[in-house]
This record gives sequence, C-alpha cells and structure tokens, in this order.
Amino acid sequence: MRALIVDDERLARAELARLLVMHPEIEIAGEARNGEEALELIARLVPDLVFLDIQMPGMTGFELLERLDDVPQVIFTTAYDQYAIHAFEVNALDYLLKPIAPNRLAAALAKLRPRPESSRLEQVFVRDGDRCWIVRLPDIFLLESEGNYTRLHFGGERPLIRRSLNALEEQLDPSLFFRAGRKEIINLKWIDKVDIGGSGGLTVTLRGGLTVEMSRRQSSRLREILSL
Amino acid sequence: MKTIHAYWTCQILGWASYAGLGMWMAAQRVGWTTEVTVGYALYFLYSIALTHLLRRYVNQRGWVGASQYFRLFLAAWITGLVQAALVIGISWLIAGQRSTFLESSTAAPGAIGISCVTVGWMVVYLAVTSGRRYREKQLALREAELRGLEAQINPHFLFNSLNSIRGLVLENPPLAQDLITRLANILRYNLHRDAGHTVPLDSELEAAADYLALESARYEDRLRIRYAIDPATRPIAVPPMLLQMLVENAIKHGIAALPGGGELLVRSALEEGTLVLQVENTGQLAEEESGRPRLGLNNIRERLRILYAGRAGLELASHDGRVAATVRIPTRP
Repeated sequence: MRALIVDDERLARAELARLLVMHPEIEIAGEARNGEEALELIARLVPDLVFLDIQMPGMTGFELLERLDDVPQVIFTTAYDQYAIHAFEVNALDYLLKPIAPNRLAAALAKLRPRPESSRLEQVFVRDGDRCWIVRLPDIFLLESEGNYTRLHFGGERPLIRRSLNALEEQLDPSLFFRAGRKEIINLKWIDKVDIGGSGGLTVTLRGGLTVEMSRRQSSRLREILSL
Repeated sequence: MKTIHAYWTCQILGWASYAGLGMWMAAQRVGWTTEVTVGYALYFLYSIALTHLLRRYVNQRGWVGASQYFRLFLAAWITGLVQAALVIGISWLIAGQRSTFLESSTAAPGAIGISCVTVGWMVVYLAVTSGRRYREKQLALREAELRGLEAQINPHFLFNSLNSIRGLVLENPPLAQDLITRLANILRYNLHRDAGHTVPLDSELEAAADYLALESARYEDRLRIRYAIDPATRPIAVPPMLLQMLVENAIKHGIAALPGGGELLVRSALEEGTLVLQVENTGQLAEEESGRPRLGLNNIRERLRILYAGRAGLELASHDGRVAATVRIPTRP
C-alpha cells in the first residue's frame, strides 16, 4: 500500500511517518505541505491511501478532495476538527486525532480495502452545502444528468456533483453501469424489476423505488445484457 | 454590614416617629394618661420586634419578587392584626372599661388602621430591597459576562501544541522540555488567574511569549516574530488574555492561511496617556471578513466596553499586505 501524507506542519508529518514504521505494509510514497503539492503528488504517484490534514493554508483538505476525479482511500488527521469530519456521512475511511495514538492508527489501517485491480473510478467526493460524502461507486444506484452537473442517487441522498454525465461515464465500469437513456445511467446491481411498457420499451424499477423509462434501442441492449 | 445598620436605623427611627406622633396626637385628645404613654411606648417596642420577625420569616421562605406579593402582603396584614390585638389588649389591661379602644365605634377602624400601617411598612421594605436586589443582579450579570469573555484556552492550540511536542521528544529533547514548561505556564496562567479583571501588561507579554514559542515550534520558519515594547508600558493594567487573543487571531487568520507564512509584530507604546497595543501580521483582510467581524475580536471589544465604558477601543486595519489590530486603553481615570 502506497501512502501520501498531507499536512502543513513538518513535525506532524515526521511524527506520523515515525508511527508508520510499525506498519511495514504501508510505504510512504511522498509528503505534501499543502493542497497544491498534494494535487501534484496524487496525480504523479497515484497513492492508495492519503493521510489528510483538514486545516491547511491555501486549500483545505475538503477542497483538495473536491478537485480529485478519483478519490483514494482517505484517513483524516486533525487536532480538533472531529465535528467537521462528522459531516461525512458515507464512507470516510477513518479519522485520527492528533497527537495520534498508535492503537488508533492500527485500527484505522485495519479498515483499508485491498488495492483494486482495474483503473476504474473507485469513489468520488461530493459536497452539498455543509454536508459531504466520499461515495463508493457500487453504492450509487442512479446517475442523472442535470446540465453540466450530475445528480448521484445513493442511500437516502441525492446530491449534485460538479461533473457532466458524459465525463463520468468514461470512467465507469461498463459491466456495472448501463446508459439507460440520454440523461440516465443506472447501476445494474440495483435493478429490482423490469416491466415492458406500452411502446415496447422497458421500465426499470431500482431498489428504493426509483423508475427509469428506456427507449426501444436501449431496451434491446439491456435485454441482451440481462439475457432476458 | 452596611445594609444591616441601615435596616436597624430605619426600623427604630421609623417606628419611633410613628409611635411618637400617635402618642402626641392622642395626648392632645385625652391628655397624657398612662394608657397613652405606656400604650404607645409598648407599641413602639413590639412593632419593631414583630416586623423584624416578619422580615426574618419572609427571607427564610425566600419570598422575593412580584409573584410573591400576595403572600408578602398577607403576612404583613396578619402581623398588623397581631399588633392591633396587642394594642387593644394592652389598653384594656391598663384602662379597663374606660379604654378608648373598647368602644365598638373605634375598635374596628383602629384595628384596620394599625394593620394598614404594617402593610405600608412592607411596601417601604420591598421598595428599598428590590432596588438593591436589582443592582446586585446587574453586578452579578456583569461579573458573569466578564468571566465568560475571559476566554479559556483554545483547544486547537492545545492539541496542536501537544502534537508538536510529541514530534520533538525524539527530534529535539531540550526544545521539547522547554515547550512543556511553557505550555505549563500557559495553562497555569489560564487556570489560576487572580480574581481581578485586569493584569499588568508585563504578565500578558510573558504569556504571549510562551504562546508564540509554542506556535513557532509548530509553524517553524513560517512564523517570524518581532517585538517592539516600550518598557514604560509594562506595568499598565490591561484585561487578561487580551494580548494572547490578538496574537492568536493574527496567527489564525494571517500566518496560518499563508503557505509561505509571514511576520508577526507585537508593539506597545504610550501616546498621551493612552496605552497603544498593536499586533500586526502579514496578510490581508479577507473580503467576507470585513463585513463579518471575527469572534475573538468581538470578544475583546465587548470586554473593553464593559471595563472602560467606551473609553477604550479596538481597530482592525489593513495596508500594504499587512493587517494590524490596535487596542487603545486609557491609563488615567
């Protein structure tokens, strides 16, 4: 596992690096002193894990995540901002309070997921007003185009992400996500039932009750995939 | 002690003048009989005793404020009836059938008059004490307000400092030791401040130096500190935590927001009997902040208002890439 440490304080970075000596499975690929450096290192090193401080000059940890296409696994490190982190409702891997307790670090690392084989989009960061989420793609059941934005449906939430549906589609796993229409992409794992509509097109009902009507052309493609 | 003296003076003078006047008027009517002299002298004594008992009873029950008026006046009226009974009883003992109070035409109005006097006593008592209670409450509120504003240590600072020290324990043990001592000083300064609402500027400067040493360990070469202190300003009394809050503010909104860090200047001077205390830092007043005053600075403004009643002030100004917070405090009353 290759990790990046992002913190504006040298002592904080050094201390975390010392603590990570106890975890040889974690290789420190780099250290960044601010958001700009972190963006560059994430693009260059493609780390599996980022230790991320929230309060940094220039760009906060949240702002940094917003600028990433694909979000690596994130462990937040902070002195006192646990309230800010609680704004994360979905899938923040963990957070560590400074000074970091070695056993808390071990517990956070135990939650790490193995490195994915494909280079597909794994998770995205979404912010809606005061609330934000790191959403794993398999948890999203519907992506809906709204101009240059895309509405993500997952859990009971439906925030907008600042990316177009077409841009997202290129990075999605085609065995999991299906373009159901001009404005919708559905997650095949979340299909609850499929009905035949009047004009020969299919109506897909997703778990949770959302329905998507499909054109005849897309309907026949879906039939092939689902081998109906 | 002062209030209890005033209370007894009022009790004795009040009842003496009332009983004295009554005695003189009665003597004009019926002459200086035993009934009149002894009756009114005794009335003077037991009125003091009974109203004193009334006061003690009311205070023990904690009957205070408008919601208790009914009980207060009922108690006063009952006390008045006891006095009336004593007046009539004593008249009868002294004068027997000749007592003026035993005539049915005067007994009832007399008793009502006597109890009305005691109800009047209660009105005066409440008027005097409620004014005092109000002032005491205002003072207590002001005190509480000040205590609340003499802010506690910032948890961000505390935990970040502990994290820096933890990092330094292996890397630079002497510096780690020094910082632990300085952190102890800061905690002590926060916890064991004397009861007063001002401290000499010198103590504030010491505390701020400890504070800045800890922040320097954290920000390293991103924080560059300069002092320009006029020695004559050191003994001047200032509100506690004033300088630390200014410095904290300058770091939080100035230095910490700059990736390359900046300079922080602490300056004190005497200008025509006014202490001028200034903390200047590299940086700019953010757009949205000029409209929305910062919390720490608001706190300082509030305390200056309570302590100096408008004669002290805080200004925040920005020029040439630097932000300066300036406090002016009068040194003469």
